[in-house]
Amino acid sequence: MSNIITAEHITKRFSAHTALDDVSVEIPRGSVYGLLGPNGAGKTTLIRTINRITLPDEGRILFDGRPIEQQDIFRIGYLPEERGLYRKMKVGEQALFLAQLKGLKHHEALLRLREWFTRFGIEEWWNKKVEDLSKGMAQKIQFIVTVLHKPELLIFDEPFSGFDPINANLLKEEILRLRDEGATVIFSTHNMSSVEEVCDHITLINKSHNILSGKVDDIRREHGGNIFSAQYKGDAKALIERLQGVCKVLAHDKNPLGYSSIKLHIERNEDVRSVVAMVNEAVELRQFTEEVPSMNDIFIRACQQG
Amino acid sequence: MRNISLIIGREYRERVYKKSFIFTTILMPLFMILIGAAPTLIMEFADSETRKITVVDESGIVAPCLESDEEVEFVFSDKNIAETLIATADDEDNFGVLHIGKAIVENPSDARLYTNSSSSMMLEESVADQIEKVIESERLKAYNIENIEEILDKVKASVHLATFRTDKDKESAASSAIASSLVGMVLGFLLYFILAIYGGMVMQSVIEEKSSRILEVMVSTVRPFEMLMGKILGIALVAATQILVWGVLLVVFSAVIMPALMPENLIESVQQVQAGADVSALAMQQDLAPEMLTALASVLDTGQIAMVVAMVLLFTVGGFLLYASLYAAIGASVNQAQDAQQLTTVVTLPIIVAFIVTMMIMKDPNSPIVFWCSLIPFTSPIVMVARIPSGIPAWEIATSLVLLYATFVVCVWGAAKIYKIGIFMHGAKPKLKDLWRWLRY
Repeated sequence: MSNIITAEHITKRFSAHTALDDVSVEIPRGSVYGLLGPNGAGKTTLIRTINRITLPDEGRILFDGRPIEQQDIFRIGYLPEERGLYRKMKVGEQALFLAQLKGLKHHEALLRLREWFTRFGIEEWWNKKVEDLSKGMAQKIQFIVTVLHKPELLIFDEPFSGFDPINANLLKEEILRLRDEGATVIFSTHNMSSVEEVCDHITLINKSHNILSGKVDDIRREHGGNIFSAQYKGDAKALIERLQGVCKVLAHDKNPLGYSSIKLHIERNEDVRSVVAMVNEAVELRQFTEEVPSMNDIFIRACQQG
Repeated sequence: MRNISLIIGREYRERVYKKSFIFTTILMPLFMILIGAAPTLIMEFADSETRKITVVDESGIVAPCLESDEEVEFVFSDKNIAETLIATADDEDNFGVLHIGKAIVENPSDARLYTNSSSSMMLEESVADQIEKVIESERLKAYNIENIEEILDKVKASVHLATFRTDKDKESAASSAIASSLVGMVLGFLLYFILAIYGGMVMQSVIEEKSSRILEVMVSTVRPFEMLMGKILGIALVAATQILVWGVLLVVFSAVIMPALMPENLIESVQQVQAGADVSALAMQQDLAPEMLTALASVLDTGQIAMVVAMVLLFTVGGFLLYASLYAAIGASVNQAQDAQQLTTVVTLPIIVAFIVTMMIMKDPNSPIVFWCSLIPFTSPIVMVARIPSGIPAWEIATSLVLLYATFVVCVWGAAKIYKIGIFMHGAKPKLKDLWRWLRY
């Protein structure tokens, strides 16, 4: 899988502080990529560097493997954290204006806008003034304008902030749909449950440094410390004897009448399949799962260590 | 280019399609006419009632010569001053009592006006005038010169200095200094208005874009320079539209309506003056002051008007572009309008200086300070435009224009740099020092 964006050793200094310090990120084409980090960590600066709003002091951004150019921004759709529209303009007129700036012809823009407005069920907003819309409504308009020119790369800065759960869900579905249509999505967020649901890759930025990068599944597994839990019915003593020397029992909740549960630590070089087979032989196995920490735990732990 | 024209279109439509724009464009000339006519109108309507003044003349010389007119009616009293004051105290129609001392001819200050409400300067002046005349003629009589009145009549003269422009192709077209400096003043004021109002509009709109956060959306698509130029040019077009409408109204007014309102033979006279005929003779024939006729002649010269409108347009656009870029830089570096105060003062100062210099044109359109201010780019748009009706050599206008547009290019370059950095600065209010640092960034 090729990378659509490669950020190489990006450093960006402002007069008072360093916003990014030697940050490298690789964003695979077709992924949904989460940029995580506490407030003020440098996420927005990294995003602005990727879409050429600010130039880095050191390092470079590669787009499709070659240094990014001004024309490439037509292939990027960007939804900034601080949403903004011209307040006095009518919704339709404004959407058309922004779409044309993205390089769409008037006719084409009109067609696509009609389609999106119908999809979101907001046709009657077309002639309303932006100042008459609620915050959530304005965000929907802005989302449409961001994706309208069908960019290969979509960058959303805090897309879920300010949306109610229903609209946040709608937004999640749209993000996944866009990915299925072939777009790459980068978004920054504090909302960890959305990361688990939507992202396949993440980078965690803290205090201007990239402290954690990779596939979500891999990261959770790495931070899990190979802990598995099992639920079973049967002879607890026999099970423990069977596992002796194979893995460590961390906790054991015996229930002679119903289901007992056991927590195991399996060494990394041990074959998980054979452990499952052993348990299965000893008792009646009901459930066997790896206990992976939530992204929330990983986030907090990583940031506190750094 | 496509982006700039899209932005220009947006800025233009947002303003020109507004109701308030249509109103000001049409109402502004009416407003100007009203302001011009205000003093005359006020004089017409104020002081319309006749005031009665009771005169006690101890000298016996002044009273017979006092003439009542629309404003003052003189009534004579043969009682002494104390009695008269008591007698008139309850008379509401009586405005006041004028007391003239016995030795008024020797001592002209021996005159008093007692009033029971405040008098007006006009009234006091006209009364004093009349007394002065009486005293003067009394004193002249004392010399015992024969036929003194005839002599005085013959001595009186009224001079109208007709000036002629010799640098024009048209042989000696008449020009009136008063008319052209008046036109110049109006134009100077117009430019002052446009630079301050439309410049402020650019600043306001940049601040608005910054605080509504639309800038980040825009800047991820277009270059800051394109945004800046699109905005400035868009608003410049709005200003040009407004001037053009005013210019067209003016030309139509002078070419169609004015002749229609004026008697036919007056038009003929005006045309003769435009063709270079003798003003005084024609003025006599029309029973008009010669100044009036020359002023009419230059106001009604459509060719002259078109030339002035074209020049005004060139200087307005240049001056506007210059000031707009400065105002835009300020707008980009602050977060709210209140913070801009300190910085706008720096920009507004030359505009005000230029406006003050414009007043001096009335005295002499070629004095050194006026000359230099009409070449220096920051004051030239206002001062030069105010000078143009007085007839300025072409090389001066050309030099001024070149300097103006060159400065504009430099300023836009600087403003674009400040703009680029400023629009993402939220937080502390920037000082002039910061702007200087951003310029070298």
